[in-house]
Amino acid sequence: MSATAREEILEQRSIRLPRLPAPVLLLMPAIVVLAAVVIVPLCLSLYSSFTPFRLTKPETFFVFIGLRNYANLLADWDFWAAFGRTVLLLTVALNLEMLLGLGLALMVEKATRGQRILRTLLMFPMMFSPILVGFQFKFMFNDNIGLVNNALQALGITGTAIPWLIEGHLAFIAILVAEIWSATAVFAILILAGLLAMPKEPLEAARVDGCTPWQTFRYVTWPFIMPFAYIAMTIRSLDVARAYDIVKIMTDGGPAKRTELLWTLISRTAYSDAKMGLANAMAYVSILLSILFTVYFFRKLAAARTQIGAEW
Amino acid sequence: MRDENASHRLKRRLLKLAHAAGLFAAMTIICMPGLWIVLSSLRPTVEIMAKPPAWIPQELSLDAYVAMFSGVGKGGIPVLEYFRNSLIISVTSTVVAIAVGMAGGYAFARYRFRGKSGLFLGLMLTRTVPGIALSLPLFFVYARLGIIDTHFGLIMAYVALNVPFTIWLIDGFFRQVPKDLAEAAQIDGCTRWQAFWQVEFPLAGPGIASAGIFAFLTSWNEFALASQLTRSVNSKTLPVGLLDYTAEFTIDWRGMCALAVVMIIPALTLTFIVQKHLVSGLTSGAVKG
Amino acid sequence: MNRLLSGVSAGVLLIAVGSSAALAADLPGKFEGVTIDAKLIGGQQYEALYTRIGEWEKLTGAKVNVLSKKNHFELDKEIKSDIASGSVTWCVGSNHSSFAPQYPGIYTDLSKLLPKEEIDAFVQANIKASTLDGKLVMLPRAQFDVSALYYQKSLYQDEAKKKAYKEKYGEDLTPPDTWDEVAKQAEFFANPPDFYGTQYAGKEEAINGRFYEMLVAEGGEYLDKDGKPAFNSEAGVRALDWFVNLYKAKAVPAGTTNYLWDDLGQGFASGTVALNLDWPGWASFFNDPKSSKVAGNVGVKVQPKGSSGTRTGWSGHHGFSVTENCANKEAAASLVWWLTNEDSQKLEAANGPLPTRTAVWEWDIEQAKADPYKTEVLQAFQEAAQHAFPVPQTAEWIEISNAVYPELQAAILGDKTSKQALDDAAAKATGILQEAGKL
Repeated sequence: MSATAREEILEQRSIRLPRLPAPVLLLMPAIVVLAAVVIVPLCLSLYSSFTPFRLTKPETFFVFIGLRNYANLLADWDFWAAFGRTVLLLTVALNLEMLLGLGLALMVEKATRGQRILRTLLMFPMMFSPILVGFQFKFMFNDNIGLVNNALQALGITGTAIPWLIEGHLAFIAILVAEIWSATAVFAILILAGLLAMPKEPLEAARVDGCTPWQTFRYVTWPFIMPFAYIAMTIRSLDVARAYDIVKIMTDGGPAKRTELLWTLISRTAYSDAKMGLANAMAYVSILLSILFTVYFFRKLAAARTQIGAEW
Repeated sequence: MRDENASHRLKRRLLKLAHAAGLFAAMTIICMPGLWIVLSSLRPTVEIMAKPPAWIPQELSLDAYVAMFSGVGKGGIPVLEYFRNSLIISVTSTVVAIAVGMAGGYAFARYRFRGKSGLFLGLMLTRTVPGIALSLPLFFVYARLGIIDTHFGLIMAYVALNVPFTIWLIDGFFRQVPKDLAEAAQIDGCTRWQAFWQVEFPLAGPGIASAGIFAFLTSWNEFALASQLTRSVNSKTLPVGLLDYTAEFTIDWRGMCALAVVMIIPALTLTFIVQKHLVSGLTSGAVKG
Repeated sequence: MNRLLSGVSAGVLLIAVGSSAALAADLPGKFEGVTIDAKLIGGQQYEALYTRIGEWEKLTGAKVNVLSKKNHFELDKEIKSDIASGSVTWCVGSNHSSFAPQYPGIYTDLSKLLPKEEIDAFVQANIKASTLDGKLVMLPRAQFDVSALYYQKSLYQDEAKKKAYKEKYGEDLTPPDTWDEVAKQAEFFANPPDFYGTQYAGKEEAINGRFYEMLVAEGGEYLDKDGKPAFNSEAGVRALDWFVNLYKAKAVPAGTTNYLWDDLGQGFASGTVALNLDWPGWASFFNDPKSSKVAGNVGVKVQPKGSSGTRTGWSGHHGFSVTENCANKEAAASLVWWLTNEDSQKLEAANGPLPTRTAVWEWDIEQAKADPYKTEVLQAFQEAAQHAFPVPQTAEWIEISNAVYPELQAAILGDKTSKQALDDAAAKATGILQEAGKL
């Protein structure tokens, strides 16, 4: 009953559109592009993960070895260490970026003057190509002539050369700093856009009702911008390529695998070692990880939307 | 009573001061690494790498920029070609991604249909594929189609890269635009198409603007796919060009910084311009109140 | 080269070649209407040479179509992708002696396409390093790399330091001639965090290469006669200990295990490192007051000896290759010859890189006569070149390298003992070779 009623409404609305239902028509371009550029190559690489494919030996593309690559991976301690490290990096980085981004957005939104300049500055790190960010932070964290140690030594905070990119935890922090510097802007700008699109009446109402600023934020502003925060979260968790370029140049997983992440491991295996089949198997395991993250945020997003009453 | 008022005012002033200080500190941290790059492009290498460090620049020059433009083989790189490629590819792919994203976002925000959440999730999941799993197969496909080292190939790749993202973002913003506004417009005699352009589109402006900025910057800065799918000055983009400053054993950090500045300036300018639309989205949002 | 003659004989050449090699006098030849697709290494340092392509086009009537210009490692990726997707459709490619063994079979034997006297004009060690399974797969360009020892001269003229050193070790303080002396002096000079005795590249192929040359200097072998990994020998432990001990003694920067070549060069130029084994590409950078603090204070010496009494230099060179798939191999070979002939090598060598033709070496040294620094550099590197050898010519070299270097780092950082690290590395390398069917 309700379904037919809905369809009737739809019919009325899309009266000028041709036979195909409007949403299908509207979504067609997106589906076509994604199918061509992502789905087809993906099937190829899925297939190659069941072969011992080596770039320099094209004939190996046609040798089928079933799940052997995957079996090897499951027993590979280095792979799982990298897996765990990647999850840790993603979790820490995303949460910190989210918090910092939120803080920045709120501060910028409150500013009465220079909004345009502030917003442009806010996005400044996004103008930097990730490989540039990598080079830049590698130089800054250089233990001997890097900016960070020079500044610390000049200010008398430390008398030694801190091996930023060597010591396991420090290297992790250095990578984290680079990653956060380059990506917090994504959160900040999305949350800011959410703040800007927010209707002013509820805020007024809250003030009239005598809410404290914290209460206003917690019960009025936050539910409204939460979907944007989750969008940013998901987009960032997907955007692995960016972090890869940074890590590749800063440490390339070293020294002694202390900062090895899935992405550095996969790409070294794929191209330098030329073992594309194995690398694709790794990639598929890591896709699982991304899917988990995505589905998690996706559900959060849906929940946040229900909360502010948007239909789903 | 007056005391309370005074202390209240003091508190407000202090808060304002703290806000300004916080903002200043945050902006400094954000800009520092960038300014360092700009500075590095102007200083001789001996100063950049000095120890003890030279905090105050002693010698500034545009040598690196002059060298960059002085032609291939004379210390320069084909920066104009790279710039052209970057511009064509980024702008085209952004426009297409926004158009496709608007259509898709609108469909998700305004229509109900079967398998909607599934499809939505599916679209997003295309982004979970790590570039490395994609780059070689994509290369295979492109090599067969003969679109390696062309603008078209890279534009396609970037559209696909950005579409899930733009759909999502624009969907989020269309949701914020109350449905009754468009319905009211239709009752007033607008077609659905007119209602969209005159009512919903302006209100979703900030979303479209920020999706546009994101898409543009992603394409402008993308490296991994570009390095795989481009080869020569026909299509090499600026981020790939950065590597022209590296040789097997040496790196020209100053030259790289100079090219980075050349890359950043247009992106910064564009962002600055588009900011306006972020704001106008807001003001027109106030109209309905 | 007699251009008139080559013009006259062009017609003859077109018929004559194919079965037998051309005569030197016939180069570059005439190839009217031929188009050569090329993939060249890009980047400032390498591109000055490509301005000579236009002249070759004029002389031969052929056209060169540059498909791709990329950085060394990106080009490697691209060539591998081409092999994988069966799209090696181009003719001429930049190549490198360290990477060449990975591309089995795609490049043709140039010794069949070019006259013998032209090939004999190259330094024979370079030709040997360019020959794989009896095939001359590339012609070396003037981008030859072997390392020599750069040092700060002033340190050796400081009377107080001389005295202190003599007291401590009972030897005179002179620029080191053995690796043992390098280690002693490095510890002696080091004053962290402001000054370090020496430094080394600590990751990827770089540390593996450095370990390799130290291993040979200590009398060890990387792969034995049967191609089995043999670096976990006593000599191997001694070689690795050299790196480990310097790190432990804090005579090298703490970040050295993350250093690649750029960090090393910048570090020495910043004046905070006493001794630096490095490549010829940095020579002019180090002595230029605009880029280096130590300008005017740089000494260069042949690489030190190991305990086996030999000097060893892990080396490599860039070059150009012609593919087996190439439709017009003669034209392609002519282009490769042109880019590596005397005039081309002079053009490149004039900017600092080392030549690979005997005659150009002599010319280079002659040119540098008025410049004592450059003379010192060239003499040091010419001597260093005599001890140079390429990486083992196995297709798995890079893969082995990637498996070995994290183990070397683990030993340097103290996560493992040298012996343990080398045994683990050897086990991995053996696994790789077994998987490839080489053992």
